[in-house]
Amino acid sequence: MLLRRGRRASALPARYKALVIRVAHLTKRYGAQLAVDDVSFEVGKSQVVGLLGPNGAGKTTLLRTLAGVLGPTTGEITIAGHDAVRDSFEARRHIGYMTEAAALYVEMRVVEYLRFRAELKRVPRRTRTAHVDEAMARAGVIDVANKRIAHLSKGYRQRVGIADAIVAKPPIVILDEPTAGLDPNQIRQARALVRELGQSHTVIVSTHILSEVEACATHVLLLHRGKLIAQGSMAAIASLRRERGATVDFIVRGDAERAQATAASVSGVEAASAHALHETGDGTGDGTALVALRVGFGPGTDARTRAAATEDIVTALVAGGLRIREIRPAAGSLEDIFAQLTAPDPASAAA
Amino acid sequence: MKAFWPIYKRELFVFFATPLAWALIVVFLVVQGMHFFLLIDHFSREVDVASDETPMSAFFGNTVLLYLVLLVLVPPMTMRMFAEERRSGTIESLMSAPVSSAAVVLAKYAAVLTAYVAMWLPTALYLVILGRTGPLDWHAAASAYLGVLLVGAGYLAVGLCASALTQSQFLAMVWTALVLLVFFILGVGEFVTREGTLINAICAHVSVWSHMNDFASGTVDSRHVVFYVTLIALPLFVCTRAVDAWRWG
Repeated sequence: MLLRRGRRASALPARYKALVIRVAHLTKRYGAQLAVDDVSFEVGKSQVVGLLGPNGAGKTTLLRTLAGVLGPTTGEITIAGHDAVRDSFEARRHIGYMTEAAALYVEMRVVEYLRFRAELKRVPRRTRTAHVDEAMARAGVIDVANKRIAHLSKGYRQRVGIADAIVAKPPIVILDEPTAGLDPNQIRQARALVRELGQSHTVIVSTHILSEVEACATHVLLLHRGKLIAQGSMAAIASLRRERGATVDFIVRGDAERAQATAASVSGVEAASAHALHETGDGTGDGTALVALRVGFGPGTDARTRAAATEDIVTALVAGGLRIREIRPAAGSLEDIFAQLTAPDPASAAA
Repeated sequence: MKAFWPIYKRELFVFFATPLAWALIVVFLVVQGMHFFLLIDHFSREVDVASDETPMSAFFGNTVLLYLVLLVLVPPMTMRMFAEERRSGTIESLMSAPVSSAAVVLAKYAAVLTAYVAMWLPTALYLVILGRTGPLDWHAAASAYLGVLLVGAGYLAVGLCASALTQSQFLAMVWTALVLLVFFILGVGEFVTREGTLINAICAHVSVWSHMNDFASGTVDSRHVVFYVTLIALPLFVCTRAVDAWRWG
């Protein structure tokens, strides 16, 4: 077995032993291609971590190295105190992993497959049936237990994949895009399941859908082109949002340019943009167009300043003869942060 | 190594659950049945028969039919083993479980070997039939079956290794067939090349014909046994390293 750099688990400080997953300077290279680039993070007990990134960011590669399917090129991974390279066996025993697009043995029946996986994961014979039944119940596949996996829809197959990941009751559950290709109902059920799993396991879920992370995660890792561009609890990310500025959207009736000029003149406003909307045809209009006005505040603007500025904008718009239909404050979603963090650097683009 | 049993059971279950396996078994038994019938027919008519030639040694030894059958049978049996798992992605969930590479390789090998033995079992009936017509040398029978087992085990190991080296089942089948064909041709080479040359010695050493002739006449030559044990061990070792390579790259 090739030796890797890294300290033995017994030499690690006590704090590290309380962590469930510790990743230090993990790099994974496929030939010349760098899939994961110097990633470091820690995951504590009972956290639900959303690994977020666009397609091709390296999420699946990162999860595969955590799950022990792949070995890192350089760097250290510690799973529940066991080094994922030197002690791969023990590390894998603590993890339940669901592959992207739940690859299953399609010729087997659901219950046969789960029994096989339970046996593979060293679940003792006398508790095996109970474990399998519980996994099926939690994942919601009891009603298809005796069907061949080949005859199941994609949604059910993903659920069987989740059941497989939890069948041995591992402390860590890693799910690679568990809601990919599901319909909205199924997505809702899957997210509820992830939240429920978070109560008794440490969960890492990967997705490229931002709302999913907001729906079920307690912590976020943002991955882009193999690099970790942001990490932290949802609260920390939320304050990141606030720091990076916010917008308020108005729907007003009147002249677009006027609306824009009026809003831009209010103190505290960094930028304003307006464009005309199509008439909604509800019969209340007097013929003038509806305008969507987006007002942006500068970074570092706190909530109180924003609130005051919003009131000022409303007063100014009304004074300017514009009629206000709707006010929608947007706190700056994860999308905005992501877009900002992953936007190409204008300096380098110009060079 | 505790992961051996679930994988072994599953592979065996899958093997007998697919139509391909049953088709192969039927074809195999039909061909062997015909082979046996033709031999008996031949022996029952011949007045002047060579003294060391028995139906049994002819069945296992001197004809080309046995090897052709193996050539046709072994590649389809093993092509699916690793290639399909890698292509469909199920190898990932296998590797994420606390399972050693050796356990995976040995379990799959044991399953395909068990299927091979199960295929040959009905041919024991031929010996029972022969036994009713006259005295049968059971020792020769045992060594003949040992030969069949060793040859098959060696070929299956080659097939398993080929399956691990590609993601295409078809390519795995082709590679296996090619390697087995090389052995076959080397066997022919024993008769074609001149006695006493190096090439003749090599051909004689690897020739399945001469191996099976010896086994079928009751001789268990340890050189042959070593040859086949090596033919089993080497591809399985390479296979295990290939599985390791998928993980540690």
